[in-house]
Amino acid sequence: MVSSYFKELLDKVNQGPLAYLFIVGHIMAGTFLVYTQPRSNLAFLVLITSFLSLYFFRADARFKLFIGALLALVIIPIIGVRNIFYLEVIFQISVFAALALGLNIVVGFAGLLDLGYVAFYAVGAYLWAFFGSQQFYVLHYAPGTQPSGLPFLLPGDAFYMFLLVGVIIAAMVGILLGMPVLRLKGDYLAIVTLGFGEVIRVLANNLDKPLNITNGPQGITPIQRPTMPEFAVDWFNTVFSPLIGHPVSRADMYNLMFYLFALMVIIVIVFVTRRLDDSKLGRAWTAVREDETAAIAQGIPLVRMKLTAFAVGASFAGVMGVLLAASRTFISPESFSFMQSIGVLSMVILGGSGSIPGVILGAATVTILNLQVLQGFSLYLNDLRQSDAVIPVINFAWKNLSTQLDPAKYQKLLFGLILILMMIFRPGGLIPAKRRKREVAPEDGK
Amino acid sequence: MALLEIANITKTFGGLKAISDVTFSLEKGRIVSIIGPNGAGKTSFFNTLTGIYKPDSGSITFGGKSLLGLRPDQIAARGIARTFQNIRLFPDMTVIENIMVGMHIHYKQSALAILFRLESFKKEEKAAEQKALRLMKYVGLQTGENELAKNLPYGAQRRLEIARALAADPQLLLLDEPAAGMNPQETEDIIQLFRNIRDKMGITILLIEHDMRVVMNISEDICVMDYGVKIAQGTPAEIRNNTRVIEAYLGRGAVAGQHEEKMQ
Amino acid sequence: MKRFLRYFNVYEVIRPIGQLLAFSVGTAVVMSVIVMVLALVLDRTSIGASLMDKLNVSVFTYTLSNLPQVVIDGLTIGFVYAAIALGYTMVYGVLQFINFAHSEIFAVGAFVGVEFLIFLQSTGVLAGASLFMAYAYLILAIVLGMLAAGGLAVAVERIAYRPLRGASRLVPLISAIGVSFLLQDVIRLVEGLTTGQFNRIMPTFGNFDQRVIFGKLSMGASKLVLGISIKSIIVIVAAVLMLVCLNYLVNATRVGKAIRAVAQDMPTASLMGINVNRIISLTFLVGGLLGGAAGVLYALKFTRIDPFVGFFPGLKAFTAAVLGGIGNMTGALLGGIILGMLETFAGSYMGIFTAGAAGSEYKDIFAFSILILVLIFRPQGLMGKNVGQKA
Repeated sequence: MVSSYFKELLDKVNQGPLAYLFIVGHIMAGTFLVYTQPRSNLAFLVLITSFLSLYFFRADARFKLFIGALLALVIIPIIGVRNIFYLEVIFQISVFAALALGLNIVVGFAGLLDLGYVAFYAVGAYLWAFFGSQQFYVLHYAPGTQPSGLPFLLPGDAFYMFLLVGVIIAAMVGILLGMPVLRLKGDYLAIVTLGFGEVIRVLANNLDKPLNITNGPQGITPIQRPTMPEFAVDWFNTVFSPLIGHPVSRADMYNLMFYLFALMVIIVIVFVTRRLDDSKLGRAWTAVREDETAAIAQGIPLVRMKLTAFAVGASFAGVMGVLLAASRTFISPESFSFMQSIGVLSMVILGGSGSIPGVILGAATVTILNLQVLQGFSLYLNDLRQSDAVIPVINFAWKNLSTQLDPAKYQKLLFGLILILMMIFRPGGLIPAKRRKREVAPEDGK
Repeated sequence: MALLEIANITKTFGGLKAISDVTFSLEKGRIVSIIGPNGAGKTSFFNTLTGIYKPDSGSITFGGKSLLGLRPDQIAARGIARTFQNIRLFPDMTVIENIMVGMHIHYKQSALAILFRLESFKKEEKAAEQKALRLMKYVGLQTGENELAKNLPYGAQRRLEIARALAADPQLLLLDEPAAGMNPQETEDIIQLFRNIRDKMGITILLIEHDMRVVMNISEDICVMDYGVKIAQGTPAEIRNNTRVIEAYLGRGAVAGQHEEKMQ
Repeated sequence: MKRFLRYFNVYEVIRPIGQLLAFSVGTAVVMSVIVMVLALVLDRTSIGASLMDKLNVSVFTYTLSNLPQVVIDGLTIGFVYAAIALGYTMVYGVLQFINFAHSEIFAVGAFVGVEFLIFLQSTGVLAGASLFMAYAYLILAIVLGMLAAGGLAVAVERIAYRPLRGASRLVPLISAIGVSFLLQDVIRLVEGLTTGQFNRIMPTFGNFDQRVIFGKLSMGASKLVLGISIKSIIVIVAAVLMLVCLNYLVNATRVGKAIRAVAQDMPTASLMGINVNRIISLTFLVGGLLGGAAGVLYALKFTRIDPFVGFFPGLKAFTAAVLGGIGNMTGALLGGIILGMLETFAGSYMGIFTAGAAGSEYKDIFAFSILILVLIFRPQGLMGKNVGQKA
């Protein structure tokens, strides 16, 4: 009864000028807070959740687009450059949002539990890492023994082409991996994809002999980035420096550039996903997910549909891998572990399997929990350790707490808890997927 | 030439012969029923026909071409549509989407058209929606098109399943106990619907049914199965008086009882 | 005597022992022959020549001299895998569900046992213990590990799986993955809070590290020493004991019959008056007991454990269960032994056989490759039946 009262209240507020007021007010509050308190996590959260307001409150579509663009293209970059940590968080959110959207197609649309999704991410990353670095010339050297001054195989600007190459190669790997495996039913498919993910990781770790393709556990570095024209840095500085408070360096500009790239990739991914969803393909995937036997009876080719989902999902991960390699200029097998696959899965499950806004929300929530909340706990704990405080009931001094106990490293706990709690209490996710309501006017004379 | 020719089909599961040496042919434009006690192998027959089971031996020819070795979705594409004994709708899809999925084989949308919302895509989607609405009306579905399939009452779900099967423009419609759980009025309506389908749409109908009113009323030909074997085939009148059939349904005593009645 | 025989099904004790013997000997012989033939072949190639240059020994001699140890190690780890695999296979047989968290049940058992022994060591008891007491303490550690793991398994089922029993198949599986991850970090948390160390080492005591030598052969320049460490003997004996007991439970008792009934047809079993929920809890309990014991034995054999110790053995044991035929207990035994042998042989010989190109670091994905191949080409496993689905 309380929740229905709440819902009524929300509904009353969510219309007319009040809705617009909320959106604008939220954004302004967030911006102001972050501007005046650049180190406050809470302020950052207020700003980020303004995206949620933008989504939920009813307003004209063009208004939302304009405000959204303002937020993403003006406010965030300025805030981000002021406090580079925030830009890093937002960049990570973008990367994981893209991955979650890709996994969403495999798990959410087609209903295939892929536990090795991170393998496609690795493929894209190592693709650019190999071709955009000196690794080609290091092929015959053991890791760490290569001479300095080796040339790079391709110029940094080949990155743009490799975004496309990453899509294609990842899709092909998806089809290759999928073909033998997509006949299996749910549980087995999950375990086998887990196995595949691990195989890719072990290969990344060990393909440094006889030919040094991946440079083993040390990873590949330096990886090139596309060139940034000088005038861009200067222009940005002249226009925005006063707002930011200090001159903007090249490194900052690069971070901004990659953030914008990530944003563009996400927009394309969302565009593609929505179009595919509202077509015969999307309906076929939903049918396959809900009842395979009935789907087959309608003439839907099961394996081909699943392969397509796999390939599309893989391609999203592939393109993000290329982006990651270029933005970090360094990759290592550590970023592609089973834990990462489960991390992406927990984002999809938390947000809402099959729901595009849900999955983006899930990615943002998990990333923020991971990077900020856990970190925050960690710092708070460290402060407690420095002090003379004592845990109340059991009288245990904080400073005696082992330094090994670092909340920032407890991601598995976070992911595990998310998965269990969501499955028990809200399997549909925070923003569950909804079928589109069609408006069909019956034609006359029939 | 018959639309569907089945010769000597056998399907075994472990030690159980679900279908044993069944031969059957179906002429175009007819309504034929398959009846028999529970466990006689009727649904297994449908499943073998639609490719879910692979027969151990025998041949299946549809429209002159063999169906052996084809996947179920390939068989569906050849023009055979079906409904299921315990309704298999897509529960979380809307009514209209369920029917639109039924048209899957006929969509010509290319990936390009889908991604860029080309005219060809928009026209095809619109036509599909219109066709779905027409089918809804045709089978007598009163509910709104955006209702989720799982929220429909039982009778409406059965009709929706039929509409979805019709959406594929099949040549042969396989109905597995379509009248199960319906009251007399609904049963009347559905008999009329089947006649319409046969007459107006030219679709051949093969149905499994337990409700003898439906069977006797609508069938031009009846095929009786028991323990996986076809024990009789004929017109409703012939089947009604066939001793083997009566034996199968009611046991030997019933046949003897009939004789006694006649003698007295 | 006759009364005893009436109540005690001797056949069900002898049969599994016989099976284990057959599987062990059979696998050992087959693998040995394969490896020796490969060695002989390789001796005629460049690989054999380069080995002769480097270490002055032929591939064949190297192979043969390592063979006994490899076989024993393979059997030891194989029995451990079999014990863990039984936990997977029993739960799958009853619920058609892969208990992803079983690997952490195994880990918890290992930690409880090891921490207990470390505690004993800190009080000085272990140092002065007689041989008899050493064994007693070890057995106590195993029992504690078993109880902790079994209890945890039952609790996990109640909290994270039972509420989800009606839902689609993916839902409990996702929950299981969540539990697995949660438990890994909980172990880390507990260890971090109490001892501040994640890597724990099994204390040395008793005569476990000694070797029993039962033969010497000389082959040309090298000597072949046939021996087996007492640790390995303990692991094998303990594992065999558990496997036999489990087999007896499932095949020769009323409770076991109830378990088999629930595995075959749950609704009918409940109609027959079987309390299905209790049987399911019992299944998890038994699986947990076995997994926990396997954990302590693993710690005994390999000495070091860390909170993530469950991941690989768990996955490999699952592979073993699938290899043997999931849901089939004999299959789990066979699968475990075969996988243990295959993995040990590959780990020991792959480096030499490929002249260093692919070494023991690929040992782990060996199991995954087997899993993938089995699921693609023979999903019912070695002993399973191909059951079609009724539509």
